[in-house]
Amino acid sequence: MSMTVYHGEPNGPSLTVLAALFETGLDAALVHIDLAKGQRHDLVFAQQPEVAMSVEGEGPVLVVDGEGMTDSVFIACYLDDVGKGGSLRPADPYARWEMMTWCRQLIERTAPAAAYLGLSARPPVGDAAVLAKIGSADLRARWRDAAAGLSSEDRLADSKTKIAQAVNKVEAQLDGREWLMGEFSIADLESYAWLAGMVGLVDSAFADRPRTAEWMHRVRLRPSVAKALSLARKPAPAACWAPGPEINRWG
Amino acid sequence: MNDVTLYHWEPNANSGKPMLALMEKGVAFDSHYLDLLNFDQHRPEYLAINPQGTIPAMRHANRVLTESTAIMEYVNEAFTGPPLMPENPRDRWRVRWWMKFMDQWLAPSFSMIGWNVFVGPAVRSKDPDELKAAIERIPLPERRTAWRKAIYGLFREEELKESQRRVAVGIRMLEAALGEREWLASDRYSLADVNGFNLAYALPLSQPKLSNDELTPNILRWLRAIYARPTTKACWAMGRTAMVKRVAILEQQYIGKVPAS
Repeated sequence: MSMTVYHGEPNGPSLTVLAALFETGLDAALVHIDLAKGQRHDLVFAQQPEVAMSVEGEGPVLVVDGEGMTDSVFIACYLDDVGKGGSLRPADPYARWEMMTWCRQLIERTAPAAAYLGLSARPPVGDAAVLAKIGSADLRARWRDAAAGLSSEDRLADSKTKIAQAVNKVEAQLDGREWLMGEFSIADLESYAWLAGMVGLVDSAFADRPRTAEWMHRVRLRPSVAKALSLARKPAPAACWAPGPEINRWG
Repeated sequence: MNDVTLYHWEPNANSGKPMLALMEKGVAFDSHYLDLLNFDQHRPEYLAINPQGTIPAMRHANRVLTESTAIMEYVNEAFTGPPLMPENPRDRWRVRWWMKFMDQWLAPSFSMIGWNVFVGPAVRSKDPDELKAAIERIPLPERRTAWRKAIYGLFREEELKESQRRVAVGIRMLEAALGEREWLASDRYSLADVNGFNLAYALPLSQPKLSNDELTPNILRWLRAIYARPTTKACWAMGRTAMVKRVAILEQQYIGKVPAS
């Protein structure tokens, strides 16, 4: 079995997957691509449905025996399954439900908001050549709008609210805990990965949140996360975004 | 009294997922039916169980679980009975990928169409003041917006068109995946199939021009195979509305192409 991770700057889903890989101690080839230039769509497996139609948008891809795997939380679950430790998820079914529910709400509510805010601060390259490569029509539309700097005031405001709600949840969850689920887990990686870049963009959400600040510091100090961050090619990876999951269009 | 109580609506979409998963695992549960069309899910008695007012919720021992797909994974892990996740880690990834794709991309499009043609009209005839008060009681702002749109028929044409586009894309993807494998995510029946059936059981009726034995033979084979399971029959027999009785379409051995009008 040979594994390759195609990843962007260590932020958002790329950070989750890289750190999860390093946590498990598995061997994989690492290939850096610029997600914000649409380079994922140049890869040979880009048109596989599970890559082209990933709900996560422009995230990393883990390729195992030619199959492209996307969606950072599930890639992390896979790495945890094949890794030796089994240490990235709680073993108890209820605690595991808590972790999966936490991640689900995060990817559904927080991640789209973070990507929206991140992209409006630093729009991606969305020229005709990039757009033409993107198979999913709705991802293409998000690219087009983000590249053209078309962000709506309503959505920006709602996204800031979503970030503040997420930080409140993290702050409450960390009461008496070092990590979100008690033990360190994928929930810490995924939450940190989407929230780290919001510190400068939604300052007010992080004001007077001491437990969150300490937790973010602890996450950064994990050898796996530090190693992932050391792979950055740009000076501020947390400011690097590519079109992410869409904001809920219904319900 | 059983150790498990499930608070659910019809065997359809999110409610049907844990219903069918529990039945596949052979877990006995107390069924607590909530009439979505009567807004039972936003009444104080239920909000005491799930403050978000979303259906389904499951009580096991003294714990309450929400989020239907996460509940299914819990059911699979917490109880003995036939495994509903494959052994192979990559297959497990594929099960989760497809469940997320359906939950977050495809099902909302089916749901928008369903709420526009079924849920909205079904409640619209109620007393206007009663409806207004019912909307006010909804805890999540996103759900308030959703109900307002359904009740007052406020879906924009381009929203519905986008949903229909996604349904067409999703049907093509399901057909392709089921052309490669016996079941949706691997070569064994799994939570992805439980999830998918809840989304697609009435597909040849709701989307006759896109799904039938000529155009999507693999989807039809798959739906009939799931419907043939005794647990599926027992689960769908718990339904009370005409909506879920549409599952009987799968008893037809051949569903041909709709003649061009």
